[in-house]
Amino acid sequence: MTTHSTPTISRRQMLKRMGAATAGVTVVAAAPMAARAAKKQEVRYAMVIDTRRCSGCQACSIACKAEFEVPLGAVRSWVEHIEVGQYPNVERRMLPRLCNQCSEPPCVEVCPTEPKKATYKRESDGIVVVDENLCIGCAKCLEACPYDARFMNPHKGDPVKTKGNGVADKCDFCLHRISQGVQPSCVNTCQGKARIFGDLNDPTSEVAKLVDEYDTTVLLRGKKTKPSVFYIGADYLEAKKDPKADQYFRLDTHRKEPSSKRWA
Amino acid sequence: MEHHLIMWHWPMIVYLFLAGLGAGAMAVSGIVVLWGPTGEFRHRAALIARLGAFIGPLPVIIGTGLLIYELGRPFRALNLFTSNFWFMVLNPSPMNWGSWFILLFCVVATIYALTFIPWKALLSGERGERLEARSERLRAPMATVCVPLAIAMAIYTAILLAAVPARPLWHTPVLWLLFTVSAFSTGLSAIILVQRFMFRKPGAVRGAVRREDPAFRVTEYYLVSMKVLLIIAELVVIGLFIMFAHMTINSANFAVRTLLPGGEMATAFWLGVILVGLLLPAFIEGFYLLRTAVLGHEFEWPYVINVSAPIAILFGGLMLRYVIVVGGQITGPIGI
Repeated sequence: MTTHSTPTISRRQMLKRMGAATAGVTVVAAAPMAARAAKKQEVRYAMVIDTRRCSGCQACSIACKAEFEVPLGAVRSWVEHIEVGQYPNVERRMLPRLCNQCSEPPCVEVCPTEPKKATYKRESDGIVVVDENLCIGCAKCLEACPYDARFMNPHKGDPVKTKGNGVADKCDFCLHRISQGVQPSCVNTCQGKARIFGDLNDPTSEVAKLVDEYDTTVLLRGKKTKPSVFYIGADYLEAKKDPKADQYFRLDTHRKEPSSKRWA
Repeated sequence: MEHHLIMWHWPMIVYLFLAGLGAGAMAVSGIVVLWGPTGEFRHRAALIARLGAFIGPLPVIIGTGLLIYELGRPFRALNLFTSNFWFMVLNPSPMNWGSWFILLFCVVATIYALTFIPWKALLSGERGERLEARSERLRAPMATVCVPLAIAMAIYTAILLAAVPARPLWHTPVLWLLFTVSAFSTGLSAIILVQRFMFRKPGAVRGAVRREDPAFRVTEYYLVSMKVLLIIAELVVIGLFIMFAHMTINSANFAVRTLLPGGEMATAFWLGVILVGLLLPAFIEGFYLLRTAVLGHEFEWPYVINVSAPIAILFGGLMLRYVIVVGGQITGPIGI
């Protein structure tokens, strides 16, 4: 009779080992996710827009176009003219618009480029930017943005002038200016001082104080994008949450107004 | 302002149509290979399977080419494929997964189409026979892979649109069903159309299939019945699509008004998609089907109608993509 060593391992040991292996695999799988979540954002640039002080002069739109040489037919920042209320109690309100620099940007989610997304949220200050050297010009982010804050810029992205879509472009809070300690162009030019810019994570900044003090509104709160642009005196945007909401205020200058029959 | 009013225009529309057509044709072909008839109908089934397999990859490849053309800088499309696996898991974007998926589809569909090439007729000698035997062995396993892949491809064309919450007309759970049914109906129509061109003349013979065979007429009858059933299914799904949006109390309700009478896309939708693309072929073909089914006449019809019904369905499929793509872009979430 031959003797051979049988594997001496109890069921308990086996279960322990299996448990350890599972835990190990889980840790390895979850590590990148945890690492991403752990990074704390030090600065969160934000803008507070006091719509009570906006006169609708569009100086911000012009300053922005001049700053970035935005092509004809596109804007990074603009002012909506809105009629609120029902006859005879109607008012005209102004609503300055720009990219909301969402904390959970839907445009970043859909960006298909690899291994780095062409549009991404800067970890350091929360600004959503477009890397024009990575952008393929598929325009998926334009469709994903509920605020229509993006457009295709045919003059950007390649030293060779292209015939195609160009690359996606949008407001970046004037990154080149704020990195030098200067206010964004629209804030700098605002006649009524309706636009206030600063770091929301710094409790001494003006934006943090204003957001603390007022009941601010963000656009399309229901989309759960958590914007970094806050509005004072724009409560009417959230007042009506019923299917007829679009009948209670009318946009004069909304970019998505389907007035143009042209489609290509 | 038209520059950013509509960003996805004709290449996108044609791509969605062609990808659906290719996927539908391949799914039909695979289904015929796997569960197709035997006996006296087998040559006829083999022809349908072969046509479907040949039609399959080509439109998808052309459509993908259109997408790349639309970018303006074709080589930038490579940015979609320089991925690492963990990145794709952690930062999934429907288009990134989709681009890998289209690549897989094109490769598999091409291999599947290659198994249908009549090697014996093309290459003389032992080599042709060997390839033929190998192709025949590969056909059924490839079809098993191709059918789910083709259905997934048809669904993906809708996922591409449906994955953006900012476009309420696309962001509905019915869109994938609509595009899948339309993919099947356009794919089948393309197959029927091509073989009607092949058997145009009376007495035409293609391989082992003769136009005068009783099996030919019977198969034609079943194919056309299937097509009419698909049209009815599509009408039902369009009804669901509109009803779903119309009964929702927010942006989708607002967005679907663009399709309803008085909306921007109403003419294209009701004339192009519903009337020409669905009702007209359904009535014409339904008439001849019922003549056979109820009165027992021989299943035969004039050649003009014979060819124009599938063309109308293909046109309707294209119009459906046009209406959905453009309609989705001229509407947005209500309010700001």
